Amino acid sequence: MAVDQVHADGTSAGDADGAGRRRLLQEFGRTGGLIGTILLVMAIFAIASDGRFLQPENLLGLLRYMSTLAILGLGLTVVLIVGEIDLSFGAVYGFSGMVTAVAWINWGWSVGMAIGLALAAAVLVGLFNGFFTTVTKIPSFIATLGASTLVFGFTLLVSGSATFSPMQPGPGRTMNEQQVAFFRGLSNQDLPMGLPMGAIWMFAIALGFWYLISKSLFGFRLKAIGGNPVAAQLARIPVGRYKIWSFVICSVSAAVAAILVFAFIGSVQPDSGGGLLFPTFAAVVIGGASLSGGRGTVLGTLLGCLLLAILNNGLALMAAGAFLQQIFIGVVTIGAVVLDQTTQRWRRGA
Amino acid sequence: MAAPVSAAGIEITGLVKRYGDTLALAGLDLTARPGEILGVAGPNGAGKSTLVKVLASEVAADGGSILLDGVRWNASTDADRVAVVHQEPQLFGNLTVAENLLVGQEPTRFRRPRGRDADVDVLREVGLLPYADRTVDSLPLALQQRTEIARALSKRADVFLFDEPNSALTEVESAELFERMHALAAQDKVILLVSHRLAELAAHCDRICVIVDGKVRTELAPPNIDEERIARELVVGRAGQAGADRAGRTASDRRLLDVSGWTHRRSRFTDVDLSLRSGEIVAIVGVEGSGGRELVRSVAGFEEARGTFALEGPDGSLGHDAVAYVTGDRSDSLFTNLSVAENLYLRQVGSLTSRTGIVRRGQARAEAQRSREAFYVKTQDLDTPIRSLSGGNQQKVAIAAALAIRPALLALEEPTRGVDLGSKAEIYRLLRDFCSSGAGVLLYCTEDSEVFDAADRVAVMSRGRLVGILDVAEYADAESLAEAIAVRAGTDLVPSHQTPREGKSA
Repeated sequence: MAVDQVHADGTSAGDADGAGRRRLLQEFGRTGGLIGTILLVMAIFAIASDGRFLQPENLLGLLRYMSTLAILGLGLTVVLIVGEIDLSFGAVYGFSGMVTAVAWINWGWSVGMAIGLALAAAVLVGLFNGFFTTVTKIPSFIATLGASTLVFGFTLLVSGSATFSPMQPGPGRTMNEQQVAFFRGLSNQDLPMGLPMGAIWMFAIALGFWYLISKSLFGFRLKAIGGNPVAAQLARIPVGRYKIWSFVICSVSAAVAAILVFAFIGSVQPDSGGGLLFPTFAAVVIGGASLSGGRGTVLGTLLGCLLLAILNNGLALMAAGAFLQQIFIGVVTIGAVVLDQTTQRWRRGA
Repeated sequence: MAAPVSAAGIEITGLVKRYGDTLALAGLDLTARPGEILGVAGPNGAGKSTLVKVLASEVAADGGSILLDGVRWNASTDADRVAVVHQEPQLFGNLTVAENLLVGQEPTRFRRPRGRDADVDVLREVGLLPYADRTVDSLPLALQQRTEIARALSKRADVFLFDEPNSALTEVESAELFERMHALAAQDKVILLVSHRLAELAAHCDRICVIVDGKVRTELAPPNIDEERIARELVVGRAGQAGADRAGRTASDRRLLDVSGWTHRRSRFTDVDLSLRSGEIVAIVGVEGSGGRELVRSVAGFEEARGTFALEGPDGSLGHDAVAYVTGDRSDSLFTNLSVAENLYLRQVGSLTSRTGIVRRGQARAEAQRSREAFYVKTQDLDTPIRSLSGGNQQKVAIAAALAIRPALLALEEPTRGVDLGSKAEIYRLLRDFCSSGAGVLLYCTEDSEVFDAADRVAVMSRGRLVGILDVAEYADAESLAEAIAVRAGTDLVPSHQTPREGKSA
């Protein structure tokens, strides 16, 4: 951080350091509340579950669920920063898992090619969303809502609404053992302390997104476009191209998440993505990304995903039941955003 | 349907409106009697639009009184008695003409309201009956304005304020609008007409009030109403501004920009021939709707236009991309979610990026710091949000960001709108500095008083036509230049024989 504070001409060191400190403080103010909430919720669950919540196996399971949310959420963050919305990533999640399975198991492709096909399909959906949003200029809410149903329809079509597993490839089919081992190994390996492979993937991907959002030219312009698309256009930033890229990134993230979960569980169902749409949105919005664009960070999204994963896990642990869980997540999402808006207004007023 | 109006009409006394430190209205007195058309003229920033806003109940006055028929007018309860017909009608575009008349005064409590008989009369009166069931969005501007008039009539308004009503209308439509105005006057309504178009004011008004610096400077009555007289009144007292020394204004002979036969895709301007030499500042002057704004935008490539366009850089022909453009509306040129520094280096950041796509923040900050010093941007530090800056400083940031990429040509809209005097002078100086390096500046102004300080040449736009090019050096002071602009923009609009004053008694 301090290294790139080059004081070329006239920037006094004190000024820049003060600014850096203020920025750090601001950043903490934004995430500090979230970290506090996470600790509080963890404490409540720890007490209410007689310590079962803090058992290592439980925490590791939580981390695995979080990694799925986070990979989806980071892609969504990019779309939200640029000022658009993507409602299709849940369907893309289901579709890419299914494409991988069908191409590999039914069509007899190699696993690498099957994964490649799934990623290519995700890119195509991203381009589809981007095209209708930027070229035909319909609201991304509509474009991606349409894409969501469309893609889900394709998922049912290719799968015949069946569940697939490489371990039970169906009558008359045999799978290459090596390929199955490789595929399961993508996210199902024995790591020290039982760390889930998904968590490793999550941190690696998060690092990539941090580079993209916070360090790169792409991220800077993304934020500018989300903040003021008209001004960005007038400053000759290629707004359309950046938006299309954002949709592609979001779709591909969903495909990656789906393939990793498929590899971990070992089976895939056509409707697997539907249940992830809302928790991911909740996590990203709780993490500080704004639906009106121009705002969102990797750290915030990761923390939001952590909170959602804790709620999901803790409530399940306490046998609260799926219904109560839904109610809780709804309350927390609205509460967190209201809190964030209020403190923001308060900060601005101060 | 004429509501009875006493002889009092509208009587405004000592009206005051403050915006921060500036007095937009400084004790304005104005009386308008029923049955007459009162013209309101004045240079930009004189307080005309503030007067319109007060009467439209959009802002509350800070002092003074408004009497309507001798009774104090209450902006919140009697708002309907004063109707403002806007340049851009403020209606419910998705509803039909008939429904627009109903909104806010629906005769039903629960049922979906249907048209009233009285409304049918009103619509017939203004000639809108055939369009009653068309949605407002689908109608041309002139009919939308007529809907606004009908809406006011159905609310039994007594005072009609027309705010630059015909700046975007064709001549035939304008003539119809003025007929309508005279018809309203014949019904003993009070009519106020705010306009930049001196010829029309002269042709249609019974009296004309010239507003300068928030007060009525002069009132002109019939024998004295003519364009030149109004133009003279408009610019009196504005000669005091010291012109920048003209010695430094030596444009080279190299042509930088050349457009000819330049015509807007939707004919906002037609057949414009304009050239700009390197080192020169050319100001396009024209009211809203004159096509001046679109002309400047088209040079930057943000409006589609046909014709020949040639931009010659030192190393050959350039495209629209070589023109940096700063719009007049700061909300369209700044990024509120970014810091001052980020706003400053936003346009040049592409060249401050490593091959792996990382922004070199340190270097970018240094560039931002350089711009900040060159433009005297007053800010605590570079990392504060842009909206913590004053308007003038925000504007400086917007211009500095555009200049940071060293464009061949800078296209600006109203660079000093809402900017304090000190910042204004600095902005002009910086534009001049920028030009001296061989680049050029094309700016669009509605304030003709400013161009004397800012520009080398002035191109006057009116109704989509370039009606004259003036050399600033030929004018001794801002006053004579402004007068020349006003006459040029005003005269060839509506030939006075076409809409004779006698016409209204018919």
